[in-house]
Amino acid sequence: MAKAPHPSENVLAEEPADQISDPDGARDEAPAGVPLSEPNPGDTLRIGLPLDRQQSSFQEVERALIDHILSGHRELFMDLVRPHQRTVYATVFSLLANKEDAEDVAQDTLVKALGRLHQFRRESSFGTWLIQIAINEARMRNRKQWRVPMMSLTHDKHDEETYVPKDFEDWRDIPSTALERVEVREALVNALASLAQHYREAFVLRDIHELSISQTAGVLGISPGAVKSRLRRARLMLRDLLAPGLGEDGRLGWSLKEVRRPWE
Amino acid sequence: MGISCQHVWRDISDYIDGDLDHIQRAALDQHFAQCRHCTALLDSMRNVITLYRDDRVLAPPAGFRERLHQRLREETKSSRRSFLAWTLTAAAALPLGIALFSARKLIVPAHDHQSPANGPGQPQIVGTVAISLDHDDKVYHVAGCPRLQGKPQFIAVEEAIRNGYTPCVYCIGKARSKKNS
Repeated sequence: MAKAPHPSENVLAEEPADQISDPDGARDEAPAGVPLSEPNPGDTLRIGLPLDRQQSSFQEVERALIDHILSGHRELFMDLVRPHQRTVYATVFSLLANKEDAEDVAQDTLVKALGRLHQFRRESSFGTWLIQIAINEARMRNRKQWRVPMMSLTHDKHDEETYVPKDFEDWRDIPSTALERVEVREALVNALASLAQHYREAFVLRDIHELSISQTAGVLGISPGAVKSRLRRARLMLRDLLAPGLGEDGRLGWSLKEVRRPWE
Repeated sequence: MGISCQHVWRDISDYIDGDLDHIQRAALDQHFAQCRHCTALLDSMRNVITLYRDDRVLAPPAGFRERLHQRLREETKSSRRSFLAWTLTAAAALPLGIALFSARKLIVPAHDHQSPANGPGQPQIVGTVAISLDHDDKVYHVAGCPRLQGKPQFIAVEEAIRNGYTPCVYCIGKARSKKNS
């Protein structure tokens, strides 16, 4: 009896490129907030392996795909980036806070990644590498447009000793259905945009893309301690910005008007 | 006496990340059990993170995927054209490069080398040479020599000389004319 080939070895050979290309793009597109290069539980990769083996096989398949692209099958690049394209967009959108610029820069990021694919060092994940390019591209766009980094509406001068939360309203149960309302989504985007860029970067990588502290530190080129510090400030500032506005029903009445300070 | 609210506010982010040791964590847990305000702060911070993780917050606009793929298709096509052009250029330049390399590398003045096959002052052939596997004429050639007949085998010139091979007259003539020019 012939030995069945290992599925991960044959995933590229089994499906011709035109089938992999999936022109409707309906599958394999990971949401912006998933850990990069790793499938969510329940994700179905096109390899018949149990989930624990899929995690490593995902990277194996990705690396095999990179080898194919580098050997001349450049049309497969779209398959390589499909699981990451939303993440790239989310990264640049969160840093630029402008949809048109974000789309432009997201495209530039992936085009640049195509041109530099041979430089990709495989000790990091491909998704993290893409995010690094995306952040650099967004920073460059900000510099080109002489965009002054937005200052936080809260006071940056608050250090760890002097910080006092703005409000203690309990809003633990804001339902996700609140996000169906465009003004709620815009409130979140605007709050994020109001943070200084270094806070935004730490928050986006760690809390939205769920990179680890050390991965975030690696992408940003700063120490893990600096990541934690920025993350703490970003979380507190966002919480302060949003707390007065989002009630338990997701009703948006937020403004920076009056803030209850129960300790005063 | 437990820890203060300020202490909690300082450590609350590490608490969310599970980045505190068990003693610190227990201290915060004890505080949360007694302080409604700090518990509300913790819950609302977690809620912020949960909300931002939702796909819909930073979702790309309609048509993003199609426009992106269109751009990438154009780029991969133009990259392929560039690659093809580069390959053709390289292929055209290769014989020229080999010729230049051969002229510089294989033919050098006699005083640089001591080979018994050539007299003093004669140009010598160094490096790899070609011999014919189909003819037993015991002559070695510079690669590409038109006098080389049959299937070539490439060996070091020293090995050829050791085995009784002598340089091809045509190759030596070419080498001499190169040297004099």
